[in-house]
Amino acid sequence: MRVSLFVTCLGDRFFANAAADAVRLLRSLDVEVDFPKDQTCCGQPAWNAGDVPEALRMATHTAEVFADADYVVLPSGSCTAMLRCTYPRLLEAPAVAERSYELAEFIVDVLEVTELGRGLEGRRLAYHHGCHALRELGLETQPVRLLESAGAGVVPWEMDQECCGFGGLFSVKNPEVSVAMADRKLDTLPDVETVVSADGGCLLQLDGRARHRGLPIRFKSLASVLWEARRGGA
Amino acid sequence: MEVHSGDYRARARRIIEETPEVREAVTAATRTFVEHRLEAFADLDEDALSHWAERVKSHALTHLADYLEEAEARLVERGAHVHWAESASDVHRILERIVRDNGVKKVVKAKSMLSEEVGLNPFLESCGVEVLETDLGEYIIQLFGEPPSHIVGPSIHRSLDDIRAIFHERLGTPRDASPERLAAAARELLRNAFLTAEMGISGGNFLVAETGSIALIENEGNIRLSTSVPRIHVALVGIEKVLPKWDDLSIFLQVTAKSATGQPVGCFVSIIQGPGGSAAGEPDGPEELHVVLVDNGRSRLLADPEVWEALRCVRCGACLNICPVYRQTGGHAYGYVYSGPIGAILAPGLVGLEETLPLPFASTHCGACKDVCPVRIPIPDLLHVWRKRAVERGLTSGVERSVLGLWASVVTRPALFGLAEKVAGLIPDQVVRHLPMLREWSAGRELPRATGRTFRELWDEGIE
Amino acid sequence: MSRDARERILSRVRDANRDREPVSHPGPLPEAAEPPGPFTQAADAEVDGQTGVADPVDAFENRLRAAGGEVVRLADKAAVRAWLKEFASEFESVSVCKGVPQGLQPELAAAAPSEASLGVSLAVGAAAQTGSLLLSSREGRQAQLLPPVHLVWVRAQDVHTTLGEALQACREDLPATLALHSGPSKSADIGQILVTGVHGPGRIIAAILGADA
Repeated sequence: MRVSLFVTCLGDRFFANAAADAVRLLRSLDVEVDFPKDQTCCGQPAWNAGDVPEALRMATHTAEVFADADYVVLPSGSCTAMLRCTYPRLLEAPAVAERSYELAEFIVDVLEVTELGRGLEGRRLAYHHGCHALRELGLETQPVRLLESAGAGVVPWEMDQECCGFGGLFSVKNPEVSVAMADRKLDTLPDVETVVSADGGCLLQLDGRARHRGLPIRFKSLASVLWEARRGGA
Repeated sequence: MEVHSGDYRARARRIIEETPEVREAVTAATRTFVEHRLEAFADLDEDALSHWAERVKSHALTHLADYLEEAEARLVERGAHVHWAESASDVHRILERIVRDNGVKKVVKAKSMLSEEVGLNPFLESCGVEVLETDLGEYIIQLFGEPPSHIVGPSIHRSLDDIRAIFHERLGTPRDASPERLAAAARELLRNAFLTAEMGISGGNFLVAETGSIALIENEGNIRLSTSVPRIHVALVGIEKVLPKWDDLSIFLQVTAKSATGQPVGCFVSIIQGPGGSAAGEPDGPEELHVVLVDNGRSRLLADPEVWEALRCVRCGACLNICPVYRQTGGHAYGYVYSGPIGAILAPGLVGLEETLPLPFASTHCGACKDVCPVRIPIPDLLHVWRKRAVERGLTSGVERSVLGLWASVVTRPALFGLAEKVAGLIPDQVVRHLPMLREWSAGRELPRATGRTFRELWDEGIE
Repeated sequence: MSRDARERILSRVRDANRDREPVSHPGPLPEAAEPPGPFTQAADAEVDGQTGVADPVDAFENRLRAAGGEVVRLADKAAVRAWLKEFASEFESVSVCKGVPQGLQPELAAAAPSEASLGVSLAVGAAAQTGSLLLSSREGRQAQLLPPVHLVWVRAQDVHTTLGEALQACREDLPATLALHSGPSKSADIGQILVTGVHGPGRIIAAILGADA
């Protein structure tokens, strides 16, 4: 099986190692990974800002880059939602829409793998659901299932499905509200060593706020933690 | 009311920084509403209910003129006076006439968001009429001189201690009075008002075309009293409130109450067909019923092919309760009578996009509101429509446009993208912190940790 | 001028819908989607320790109790007399709505609704689904609203399963105001703390009359 990796702009710049872990993980599951070099941004920032022509340009470009891919796998729930749920509103029958999967979704739903290994034995984690992953993709059980089957305790968190306050441009247009939202998440967090999420924007937001407050919590990409699950050990 | 949506950010900041207790009170109250709503829908086929309710409201809206005429005819047959108001000033003129013709000195008001929308209280006061809000929450904010902070719970931003203090100052209750004692003090004062006011003013949750019925949902009994005891009852009803048939009413009463507070139905529901008293051959009740059908921007919103669905709203407040943005500030940040997600789509439609501009952007697009709307208004999509129009009309900030434009021109050129990322990585944090937008980011958050290399570089080197 | 406003509003509304595909009315809500009301909800299980209540009168009782109302069921005239005598002893004065039969009126000094310690009315129907008593303005509203305690008589045969059925039964002869009372007056507007008896009656007692009462 062959997939094309869409690393996403945040993934390329801020989560390069996590994206590399996604590649390692997929290869370990006998998946051939290809990285089309012409890829840029999915266009979600422009779309959310209301700039439809720019979003269209980026969507058109992305659809072309991945036109021949059997599967497009993204280490990002939000960008996957852009491809799958928003592209059909911008482009006519974009093939890329139905072939795109968030990483954990791809592993569980397409590869039908629910146990990656036991590399997370004894770890106490919390899982933050990105809004678009949760509400647009319906990605709810897959990541948690993979974490738990690897031995991790995913600790219940009353606010695990509430927005972290990132929201792209929202985070800088309304920084006070955005930070208050992050605080609400952090203040309700159970006693865990690491918070895991499939979304880079959320991780930047929560990690940026936690460090500003001097909170000793680690934030990690789902891709990296799943690779730990597979490979064993941290 | 006056619209102050332009300073959304400044208002939100003030609330968060200067009155942190508001954030706590609003969060606690809305989370309670959400829990009760969840319990109320636990055993229900929520999808079937919301699809049905959506269809009924859309049917009513796409046949609105006929249904308004039908409702008017039924009301007139029962002896009600029906008035039509295109704007807030029309409402004022109509009320002024009723007040003057009847020598009205005192008005008791039952909770009505529409009366807030058209700024009725200050107008009536300018006519020399004493106006008393009778819903306990509305009465509290009237004492504070504030607009409502929530569609259903107008005073949710006020803590028990705040309310104790203002009651002590204004009604002379002890500083440590219990909620029961405070409520009793308000009851006593307002009871006298019910018995002496010449006129009661209410809103209307629904207007049933088939029977000309105005339905009102509440828990305190103040709406029943305001519409029963004074000699004149005036109901302000938005033209979008129509339900086609009598048989539609029972489900809408239940869906609205369940969505708002999780109750099976409000403790009191008034279903009003006409005036009471001798006019109707009844022992008591208002001798005159005036129904004011208010447009005030609604017909313009109905004509909008992309946003008209917002008019299905039944004002249950479920989207406010679930909204993590609303929860940080309550309604006052929005600077408009309708706040939260529904306010952010109604405000540009009823008032104008320019006047209410940041509101469609006062959302992270998290989508939680869409899942709880009992009439399936696609709120995130409608927010996006307003954002799109703001960009098309050149109303977004220059900085934002240039940052996005730069982003766009770079990210669509892969070579340039790679280069730009490298350059960005070289700029020291101290400089970055002063750049527009990054400055806003780094005021409360650390900048992302530099990872050293991009994925592109890792890929080129070969991933082991 | 108001005539002009009417014409302008209606014409704008018609214009707004001119190019829009009309949406058809879906008809009645499918029965399966009706809110289950008191029959299956957990709140009722807490009231009487059982679920799956099928009899509308039982269900009505559960629902109204869950909302803080009181319910008494009286099988025959003797039971009514005995209960009413005992109940009335708690009060000083009464305001009775027009149309309440003599045998259902407590023997208390009559007072104006604003002065009476008890108001008594006779419901035109009830709905189990929502625990609602349906009250007509034809019997007078003030005794339903002003006294702090409200006793409502309702005949068991007038208790309908759904609110829709109860409203349908009133459809042909609607009073100026038809009211639903489904619990005591309450508010959580003061710091989210529940307070009863805010404006309307703080106690509501539904007295259900059996076939022989």
